[in-house]
Amino acid sequence: MTELPLSTITLSTGFGLMLIGMWGMLVRKNIIRMIVGFSLIDTGIHMIMVSLGYIRGGTAPIIDGSVDRATALTRVVDPIPSALVLTAIVIGLGITAVMLAYAVQIHTHKETLSIEDCSDSKW
Amino acid sequence: MVEALSNPLNLVVVALGVGFLLPLIDRSSPALARSLFNLALVYQAALPILWLFWLANGAPTQEIQTAGISPPFSINLRFGMEEAFFVAGVNLAALLGGWYLTDLLRGRAAAMSVFLILTMGVDGMIMTRDLFNLFIFIEITAIATFGLLSLERNAAALTAGFKYIIATSLASSFLLLGVMLLYYLTGTLNIDDMQAQLVLVHGPLGLVAMTLLVAGMIVELKPYPANGWGLDVYENAPPGVAAMVSVGVSAGALFALYKILPLVLPFLSALAAVAGVTFLASNFIGLKQKKVRRLLGYSSIGQMSLAAAALVLLTQLDRGAAIPLVVGGLFLNHLFAKAGLFWLAGALKQSDTQDWRGLRANPRLLALFGVLLAALVGLPPFPGFWAKWELVMQLSAGGLNLWVAVILLGSLLEAVYLFRWFGQAMQASKHEPTLSGRAHQLPVMVAVLGLFAAGHFAAASFGVDALRVLAPLYIGIALMLLHSVPARVQGLVSLVIVGTYSYQVLPAQDGINALFGAMLLGGGLLMLVAGLYRGDQRLGHYPLMTMLLLSFGGLLQAGTSLEFFVAWEFLTISSYLLLCRGRDAAPHTLSYLIFSLASAFLVLAGFGLAYAETGSIALAALERVEGNAALVLSLLGLGFLVKAGAFGLHVWLPGAYAEADDDFSAMLAAVFGKAAVFGLFIAIMSLGVKGGGTDIVMYVLGWIGLLTAFFGALMAVFQEDLKKTLAYSSMGQVGYMVTALATGTHLGWVAAGYLSVNHLLFKGLLFLVAAGIVLRVGQREMYRMGGLISNMPVSFFGMMIGIIALSGVPPLTGFGGKWLMLNALLEKGWYWQAGFAFFASALAFLYLFRMIHTVFLGQRKLAHKDLREAPLALIVPQLVLVAVILAFSVQPTWLVNPVAAIMADYLPQTLEVHGSLIKSGLGYWDGFMVINVVGAVFMVSLLILLLLSRFMRVQRVKQFNIVFAAERPERPETTHYAYDFYSFYERALGFLVLPRATAFWNGVSEWSHSLGSGLRVFYTGNGQTYALYILLYVALLYFAVGDSV
Amino acid sequence: MQNWPSQIGYFMLNLTIVGLYGMLLSGIVARTLAKVQGRIGIPLYQPFLDLAKNLGKRTAVSHGVMFYLGPVFRLAGGIGTLAFVPVLYGSEIFGNFSMAGDLLLAMYFMFFGQLGMALGAGESGHPFSAIGIARGLGQMTAYEVPFALAIIAIVVQYDTLSITEIVAAQQGGIGNWTVFTNPLAVIAAMIAFLGMTAYPPFDVVMAPNEIPIGPPTEYHSSYLAMMTMNQAVFAGAKLILFMALFFGGATNLVELVIKTWAIYMVAVVVGAAFPRFRVDQSIRFFLRYPTLIGIAAIAYTQAVLLP
Repeated sequence: MTELPLSTITLSTGFGLMLIGMWGMLVRKNIIRMIVGFSLIDTGIHMIMVSLGYIRGGTAPIIDGSVDRATALTRVVDPIPSALVLTAIVIGLGITAVMLAYAVQIHTHKETLSIEDCSDSKW
Repeated sequence: MVEALSNPLNLVVVALGVGFLLPLIDRSSPALARSLFNLALVYQAALPILWLFWLANGAPTQEIQTAGISPPFSINLRFGMEEAFFVAGVNLAALLGGWYLTDLLRGRAAAMSVFLILTMGVDGMIMTRDLFNLFIFIEITAIATFGLLSLERNAAALTAGFKYIIATSLASSFLLLGVMLLYYLTGTLNIDDMQAQLVLVHGPLGLVAMTLLVAGMIVELKPYPANGWGLDVYENAPPGVAAMVSVGVSAGALFALYKILPLVLPFLSALAAVAGVTFLASNFIGLKQKKVRRLLGYSSIGQMSLAAAALVLLTQLDRGAAIPLVVGGLFLNHLFAKAGLFWLAGALKQSDTQDWRGLRANPRLLALFGVLLAALVGLPPFPGFWAKWELVMQLSAGGLNLWVAVILLGSLLEAVYLFRWFGQAMQASKHEPTLSGRAHQLPVMVAVLGLFAAGHFAAASFGVDALRVLAPLYIGIALMLLHSVPARVQGLVSLVIVGTYSYQVLPAQDGINALFGAMLLGGGLLMLVAGLYRGDQRLGHYPLMTMLLLSFGGLLQAGTSLEFFVAWEFLTISSYLLLCRGRDAAPHTLSYLIFSLASAFLVLAGFGLAYAETGSIALAALERVEGNAALVLSLLGLGFLVKAGAFGLHVWLPGAYAEADDDFSAMLAAVFGKAAVFGLFIAIMSLGVKGGGTDIVMYVLGWIGLLTAFFGALMAVFQEDLKKTLAYSSMGQVGYMVTALATGTHLGWVAAGYLSVNHLLFKGLLFLVAAGIVLRVGQREMYRMGGLISNMPVSFFGMMIGIIALSGVPPLTGFGGKWLMLNALLEKGWYWQAGFAFFASALAFLYLFRMIHTVFLGQRKLAHKDLREAPLALIVPQLVLVAVILAFSVQPTWLVNPVAAIMADYLPQTLEVHGSLIKSGLGYWDGFMVINVVGAVFMVSLLILLLLSRFMRVQRVKQFNIVFAAERPERPETTHYAYDFYSFYERALGFLVLPRATAFWNGVSEWSHSLGSGLRVFYTGNGQTYALYILLYVALLYFAVGDSV
Repeated sequence: MQNWPSQIGYFMLNLTIVGLYGMLLSGIVARTLAKVQGRIGIPLYQPFLDLAKNLGKRTAVSHGVMFYLGPVFRLAGGIGTLAFVPVLYGSEIFGNFSMAGDLLLAMYFMFFGQLGMALGAGESGHPFSAIGIARGLGQMTAYEVPFALAIIAIVVQYDTLSITEIVAAQQGGIGNWTVFTNPLAVIAAMIAFLGMTAYPPFDVVMAPNEIPIGPPTEYHSSYLAMMTMNQAVFAGAKLILFMALFFGGATNLVELVIKTWAIYMVAVVVGAAFPRFRVDQSIRFFLRYPTLIGIAAIAYTQAVLLP
């Protein structure tokens, strides 16, 4: 137990990023900063996803000479989270892009980027 | 080829393909792009509908695999009956929505493709069996929604869209994290596989995983109070898009919730609570809302949470078999009705509900509007009605009575704000709401047709003989086609229909049904004839009257409580709409409808409880209720009492009875009121004589009836308005029937039956006389009339017979009622009650004398010198009623014997009849002899007058021979003795009739509205606050469930 | 079963007796009141003279059919009420048509004449008539309450609604009269009786100085005569009813005269001693103590007499 496993580091970093992102989304008034906050949450989640599949000392999930079928389940890193993360990243990108587009439009129409000025409808 | 075209996966493939092609094709040929878009929408809608058909005919559920590998190693989608149903609904809405959005989408190929992809996203949410794939489809849907929301480029729409994005992306982040944690725990993403591995989901991490998954799903369903962002979008998005969000996206979320429920069993109670709170809160807050689209937003959220609550509760109760009917019904109902309303709201371009005034100038639009609202409120024949019925039955059977109360209360609140809106649309206004484009109307029409079709189908799938049960409605609608035919011809057609129907139905009835059948249908036909006095085109009058009368038949023929309830609701609808026809009825229609619905809901709750105990909805099974008998009797009794206008619950009655069209007032008071008495009869006959707790209920009912009789009479005394006097009088008279029924003795029931028949006769007579007076004089304030006896002698005669029959003075029929009732009360040992009944019946003399004197006797107003007698169409039914009254007066046994025989089926006969002599345990009464003695004595007196009087050049007294008591004709209320006629009585007892009941109900209304405005303080409009709510929701969910796990 | 001609003949006899007695009674009352006020008063036969005078007058005006029918209704009401009340206990001759109905019939039939009269007077078009009737009806609703409660109490006590049976139950000694067995009920009923007779303090209906004689304002000549006749018959009928219900009934005409005279004197004496109530005051009066007494009478009957 001398060194922290890689997965623990990414996992805690991921959660850290998520919390920072949430803080950003909930506290910062500037819309752009809120979007940055969302991006951080997204990134944090991606890191968490990857680390969930990690096995300490594991190897790439390719069945060849170094890994045989019998032990594959315990030896190889789960490939699925990594695959899923790719999709998630794409989606996150899409959402961020839409958010930014909205930010631009809001700025055009309202000349402000403060979320507090965006309470046009309520009750 | 067919196989390839019919693959459900095409729903995804085609949408994606066309979606990406559209912007390219648009470059070269916008028209082609447009056609392709339309074609794709049609294909998307047609495919699942075809599949529904195939699946119903035995095709197996389609398991669609991808990548050539079987699950759980690859993503799989399922396309079974449930999926096909939801997909078909959503895609149909998309097709109509696309049609509706024609203008907005014109020349915007990108928007078209986004619209297609949105549809595809929702389809995917419904079909996929893979959690991560579900997440993907949710995100696709979300991004597409964001895109569509930006079609409207104004500040409010954009900020609303941004708030929506923040909230949903936060929610999907949680969902993603939850999915991944579950994968980590179970090693699979396949829902079915995960369900098999559910044991692995435990401990703190398992709880976190489930919490995140549930939170992600629940936020999609817009739970209160973390749903302000959703409301902002409903309010500001283009209505076509809002409709898609409300109908399509929510449906996807609902179905997704349905799929993940087995994975999150510990959360069921929390989910139900969230849905329940949201349902109730939305409807409370809706009360305060004036903006049309936000109002629809509240209604949307309410409806979807109701569906979610139903889903969760039925799962919890392990009554999955009911889910398709309930959730499917609610979904379909919401789909058509809410989308239709959003489209209508968009077409009318009026943001405030008040600005819908004047819509009545366009009857077709008004009809569409009304149908959509009726569907939302859950009136028959629409699918929501059947769903709510089944839901209430299942929840009652499961013992969830509190939930039944929540659902009924919420539905009632929803009815309040929706029909307040309808009332506003019914008001006349100089400016009419502007309309845009046919493309905006046609989808609404299709939605309405869809509602009818779905309703009929739902009814049929309930095992109900839909054609028979829904016939009143269908015949009414068919008669609407005759709207341009002269009114009297329409009237004759109605008469023929109802007459034929009665001729077929009545002979088949026996017992209490025969008695009330004769009253309801016979009396109704007579009132229908009376209606012929008006030659003007009253749009909808005869169709609605026909529907009303046929619904009476529905009550009689009902074998199950469901059929009874359908007929009951039909009565509510038709009478409400007929009431809306009244010239000044507008302020009273809403309270009429609300109290009617409250009555219906109480009855429904009662039926539910009965079902819970007996497991049967047959009306005959009511008798088998034992344990809950007192409660069921209270609920049914209270429900029918509301409709009968019992004391404290009567506030709707005077306005409705007085302001309805004059012939319809007669119908309402004389005939329709008997439907409530009929209901009471059924409830009390089945449940009232079981002893135990029901005795207490019956005792209370007895007092309620007396208080009703007393206060009805006392309030009638103080009215200036002729029809209001009659209205309060009706209230009072029904009170006697309630009391007589509540005795639970044979004699009491005979009395109640006799009183019902008699009330029908004299109150119909009096209201028809009033109709003639109002027609001729054009006013209803009695003190503005006088001396009309010389203009309208037949009407005077009618009223005289009517008031004698009402007052209970021998020898007319009224005395029989009093005699039977007092005998029943005394035999029962209800002595105080008997004394009270005496007092109440004496009060009737006051208003009766005032009525006949102020209108027909006294001084005639100069302006009324040349008035003519009432028209023949009014006089003939009056004379018929007079004839029947006289017949029963001459030989009361003609009425008493059959009624006593009917009641003897239920309780042992206590009346002895020898010839014309009727004997009770205490006294005796020979009506035939009484009328002979009275007649003889009267003739003797008349002879004395004629023989002893010495007439000499008799002159008719001129009006000015008599003092006018300083009357100022132009302002009679300042000096006329007939104004405030019983002022001294008001000084003595007026404190009893301060409008406390009205004040109470106003208080309830105000309190509900305050609660609504208190509940909506959470909606600050700030996107960050909304995000915070979502976060807190997750935390709350975690701790709430974490504690219990 | 019944012998109609003789039945009708007997009734005519009764009617004549009660009518004559009633006329005489009003003379007695007028004289008594005069004595109380220190006047000599009218001769006892004065009412007969008045009747003859009124009949002798001619009428030259018409207010319409209903106006004519008013006195007819009124008289029919009086005669009818008498018809449904047995005059003497145990006498076939004086049994009238009481087999047509019980106590409830008699109670409700009392309204018949009032209602008809109200309609007739209404057609005269005179505001005083209408005002008088309104007051009369208002007061009637109030005094009916203690009266009804008293009736209910004795119905409970004797377990029958038949007047004849109620009288039968009171036979066999003065101690069996309702007035001694159920005094509360009788007190309530007698206070109500004060209201029925419309003597002071409950004479606001006719209120001579306010709304000159109220309802009959426009009536004259033979109409007035018919109303005088009715007054006699109706008063007689009511007195007989009270006597039968509360004071043991009568088995012969002497007993009848004494008892009814005594009952009537109660109203007269009270009337001589009190000023007039305003109508709202009298309404509240009847609904207070007399009603409470009536309620107490029922409670007393239930609790003490029944078990």
